[in-house]
Amino acid sequence: MSLRDEVRRAFDTVSTAVTDAKSMTSDLSIDEELNLHSIGWEPVELVSGVSLYSIPYGYWNWGQGEIEAASHAHAKAFSNATARILREAANAGGHGVVGMHIERAIHPTHVEISLVGTAVRPVDTTQRLERSVFASDLSARDFTMLMIAGWEPLGLASGASFVFAPRRTMSAALQQQSQNVELTNFTEAMYSSREAAMERMQDVALEMQGTGVVDVKVQEGPMHFASHAVGFVALGTVVRLAKPSHQLIHPTTVVSLNDASVEFDAQTLS
Amino acid sequence: MPDAPSDLPEAAQRRFDQGAFSSALSVSDFGACLEMGLDPLGLVQGFCAMRWGAFTMSGMGRGLNPYNGAQGGYVQNYQCPHGMISAEHRAWGQNYQQPWIEDAWRTGFNSAYSRMMEEAQALGAHGVVGVIDSENPLSDTGVVEFHLRGTAVKVLGAPAPTETPWSTFLAGQRLAKTFEAGYAPVSIVTAVASVRVWAYCMTEYLMEGTGGMWANAGSAGEIVQVVDAQSKVRDLARSRVRSALQGDPLHGAHLELSTREFSKGDLEVQSRLSGNRVRRFKDFDPLATPRPTVRLS
Repeated sequence: MSLRDEVRRAFDTVSTAVTDAKSMTSDLSIDEELNLHSIGWEPVELVSGVSLYSIPYGYWNWGQGEIEAASHAHAKAFSNATARILREAANAGGHGVVGMHIERAIHPTHVEISLVGTAVRPVDTTQRLERSVFASDLSARDFTMLMIAGWEPLGLASGASFVFAPRRTMSAALQQQSQNVELTNFTEAMYSSREAAMERMQDVALEMQGTGVVDVKVQEGPMHFASHAVGFVALGTVVRLAKPSHQLIHPTTVVSLNDASVEFDAQTLS
Repeated sequence: MPDAPSDLPEAAQRRFDQGAFSSALSVSDFGACLEMGLDPLGLVQGFCAMRWGAFTMSGMGRGLNPYNGAQGGYVQNYQCPHGMISAEHRAWGQNYQQPWIEDAWRTGFNSAYSRMMEEAQALGAHGVVGVIDSENPLSDTGVVEFHLRGTAVKVLGAPAPTETPWSTFLAGQRLAKTFEAGYAPVSIVTAVASVRVWAYCMTEYLMEGTGGMWANAGSAGEIVQVVDAQSKVRDLARSRVRSALQGDPLHGAHLELSTREFSKGDLEVQSRLSGNRVRRFKDFDPLATPRPTVRLS
């Protein structure tokens, strides 16, 4: 049937709304929904989770070593927000959350984490899993590829560490004023922050009995409100093999014949 | 063609009668529409300017007792754990829904939407595609203008419309895929929820990071009152959209949240959810498992 016929059919046969059914809501695009359907999954409901966790005043500017109050606040805010989105997904009958949008804000006195995603589940009720709901920021397309390759997501792992870069002594600062030198205090602080955050993320993955973490995103750098504090945050999706071995996906090589100058204008889709 | 609604601007009717069509579609979306058998008829718009100012009580609005809340709306109270300490101490806190803001927003949006649809009806359209909506301050006097625009289309070969046209934020290839996937557009759906937060002492201390002299100084914890407000405001927007769907699915949803801080811990949290209400007209065609490709160009 041609596309025109499909459109005519859509408006000829569309009936009145089914008022007793529970509405499916999703922030996935139609492509993503089709991807999910191709592996026997479907979207269920738009879900969200949020947490704000306080950081006592005065921890950012003076001290040495890790700013434990900030690292702890980030970990607690992340786990509380994740627990809330998972609870919403479970209540909606979902088996997991995909395409999660993660918004993080580190303020001097609190950390704010906001998660929004779509709860998904297998279409076939006999395939529904007897295990806890997973959260993932993988897109529906990446989730599909992961499942085809014989892997499954277990949850989202995050590790954060905020470290104080010690101030130089007055004499060191004066001596280095006209030199190009490495600021070892900042180098060491970043090293320490990176290692601690990565280790925490890996610990979460091991707790979930995962084999590894994919699509890890890192954010690092100085804190804009504290000149001697640096932070490193890593987060990704914990995965493990669901089949006896990895399934090779054998990608097909294609050469696009599209004219590069006539491209689709995504601006109009906002 | 149905009779033109009476409040349609005379200039709009004159524009429609001129013969040439106008459209907000890009060339590729225009091509995709023709491919689907959707004939563009004209660019249709709706406006509504709303006074948008003193809708929220300022700090002066905080009375001696918690507000009882609008009838049936969300209200949650928070009690200070310290007892009576001083007149400045925030002995109670409250989260409450602000239906007057939600109603004002809905009035503005719906007026602009219905005006856009009136223009589409005047053109004899079956639907409006590629809807774009915006809210912008019109002046510095607290006036917000709601503006919706889209392209009215006619389904080629279909009988003249007898009902209100359908509408969708989608256009072009994404709309084509929606039809191919077995969904027909019904309407755009959008809802706003607004919750005001009157901070109580613990929220104030935790937001400031001080712990306060009456609490354990330097203590940390989850800022429960703000978490409740943010969770509730999203929930209210979602339940409002769900009730508008009447069993139909919502696609391409977009949930956004904005916060305004008036004073220490006193916030207004607003959430907006919008998306495309669609209706299934056929089952999914069985899909082959996607084949990964590597592009060489």
